[in-house]
Amino acid sequence: MSQYSVESLERPLDVTPWKKRSPNFRYIIIATALIPILVSFAASTVLEISGAGILLIVFLPLQLSAAAIAAVVTRGRRGVADSQLNVLVYFATFFVVIMLGSIIFSIISWGLKAVSPHFIYQNNVYITPTTSLEYGGAGHALIGSLLVVGLATLIAVPLGLAVAVYLTETRGRFKGPVRFLAQSMSGLPSIVAGLFVYALFIATGTVNLAGWLGSLALALLMLPTVVRMSEEVLKLVPGDLRSAALALGAPQRRTFFQVIMPTAKAGLITAILLGVARVVGETAPLLLTTRLMSETSVNPFYGDLATLPTFIFSNLTAGFDTGRARAWAAAFLLLAVVGLIFGATRALTSQKVK
Amino acid sequence: MNLQTQNSNIAVMDADSHLEARNIHVWFKERHVLSDVSLHFPTNSVTALIGPSGCGKSTFIRTLNRMHELIPGAGLAGSIYLDNEDIYAPGVDPVSIRLRVGMVFQKPNPFPTMTIKGNVLAGLRLNNRRIRDEDSLVESCLNRASIWNEVKDRLDAPAGSLSGGQQQRLCIARSLAMSPEVLLMDEPCSALDPGSTRRIEETIRELSADMTIVIVTHNMQQAQRVSDQTAFFLAEEGQPGHVVEFGPTDNLFSSPNDPRTEDYVNGRFG
Repeated sequence: MSQYSVESLERPLDVTPWKKRSPNFRYIIIATALIPILVSFAASTVLEISGAGILLIVFLPLQLSAAAIAAVVTRGRRGVADSQLNVLVYFATFFVVIMLGSIIFSIISWGLKAVSPHFIYQNNVYITPTTSLEYGGAGHALIGSLLVVGLATLIAVPLGLAVAVYLTETRGRFKGPVRFLAQSMSGLPSIVAGLFVYALFIATGTVNLAGWLGSLALALLMLPTVVRMSEEVLKLVPGDLRSAALALGAPQRRTFFQVIMPTAKAGLITAILLGVARVVGETAPLLLTTRLMSETSVNPFYGDLATLPTFIFSNLTAGFDTGRARAWAAAFLLLAVVGLIFGATRALTSQKVK
Repeated sequence: MNLQTQNSNIAVMDADSHLEARNIHVWFKERHVLSDVSLHFPTNSVTALIGPSGCGKSTFIRTLNRMHELIPGAGLAGSIYLDNEDIYAPGVDPVSIRLRVGMVFQKPNPFPTMTIKGNVLAGLRLNNRRIRDEDSLVESCLNRASIWNEVKDRLDAPAGSLSGGQQQRLCIARSLAMSPEVLLMDEPCSALDPGSTRRIEETIRELSADMTIVIVTHNMQQAQRVSDQTAFFLAEEGQPGHVVEFGPTDNLFSSPNDPRTEDYVNGRFG
């Protein structure tokens, strides 16, 4: 009679015994959370220290000790290290999120004051920084930015991917030096990239200022980011898949294009987007290579070209309220366009199994 | 008497060898890992390579389809003949060898970005071969790998959605699509449950009707169940791996010539 019978048990309300706490746990947590904040507020009214100072000198040590005491009370000494790390990690996260949030918030709130439809499509001809915001726009700079960054991407991405492939998929003899070079290039100040292009082409009188020279300078800055990121991503593709493809008699080229690249696709796109993000706001190299202008130009191969960063720069440095408002609006435009491009790229390239 | 028949048996096999390894030595950098291995694999036979871990079985099997040379620092001496042609002769394209000698790996490794069907056709697509009747090819390969019934309703599902045992059989189907003459299997069942293992063993028996199979295994029973002949590899301390004994599976397990073989097949070491 060894017939097993399984009875279904209705799920009781409390089936998470691991979440049970001692009754006064809640009060300890509330006290731990509130006391440091309240004391910090009190301190900020008494002491004459800036908000960040209070946060670091008063709040953080207090919160650390409060968390340590609470840990000893609720979990014993074993919990102390955990509590300290928790406080530090949350504090750091909070710090970064606040900074990022405040940047985005100010760009949006200031930017929206001056953004209007005509700001997006009009150019800046006959407009000075003091002109009323009813006139003029950054349309020419938007077009210029898209051209310059787009061209830079066209130069840097194939080159960067090729270098990453050389570093991961081949047995080249110069892998060490190439990797080292790519790494050191990532420390290159952007103005030096601009100066390099300036010295090579413009100062020698070979060519005049033009959009493509800006693209070249930006490509120099993009390259190390694209190389390093795609190298890391390609390294993550399991060696098993390479072996499998090669054992099927696939040539290395096809193995890469049909097996490795599809597997690493999402990561490679991230690498490219990070490369774009690296340069899209660069100002210094563009000041040296494409300069500023007010008219709309769609030719990156001849003549000056306005870009959003240089537009922001010129409006900010002019020192008028209307100029400042235009700069914020252009910053907002830049942020929005980058967000749109990234979102669209992600949506269009989301993983599908074929 | 017994010895004589065995010898004449080997002589017959020799004449009929589909694949043959002669005096193979392998190095990784300066380290000599495999010494003087000579084995022959008759047409449509199943050969099991057994031996303790680290004795060079997997290394040896990778020399048979020129996957060995992909490992940095690899070195090789000796020759391997496929239909009496040296596969390491100058001018021989390793790709052409790998097309004829398929391989199934220890860990199932289907292509995660492709569907089940895409995986079966992957070899042909990777070689830019035109496929006349995709559907019937997919069906026959999956059938021969005895996985058709389990996947026929979801050929367009991602390969990663299969269980480990199914993935391994899919990998076998993927190799079969290239219609190889020889199939190398490097511990194909080591990551699988007994049920999947049994299915794969049945598949091996069926496949051996029209291809030569070499299988590395740690499982003595498996070697006895599936193979016609067995080679026992051993790497004694400080020595490179070598073949201690090679012969028909029945003889090697029931009346081994070497005491070390006897100890190993009876589970006394390794």
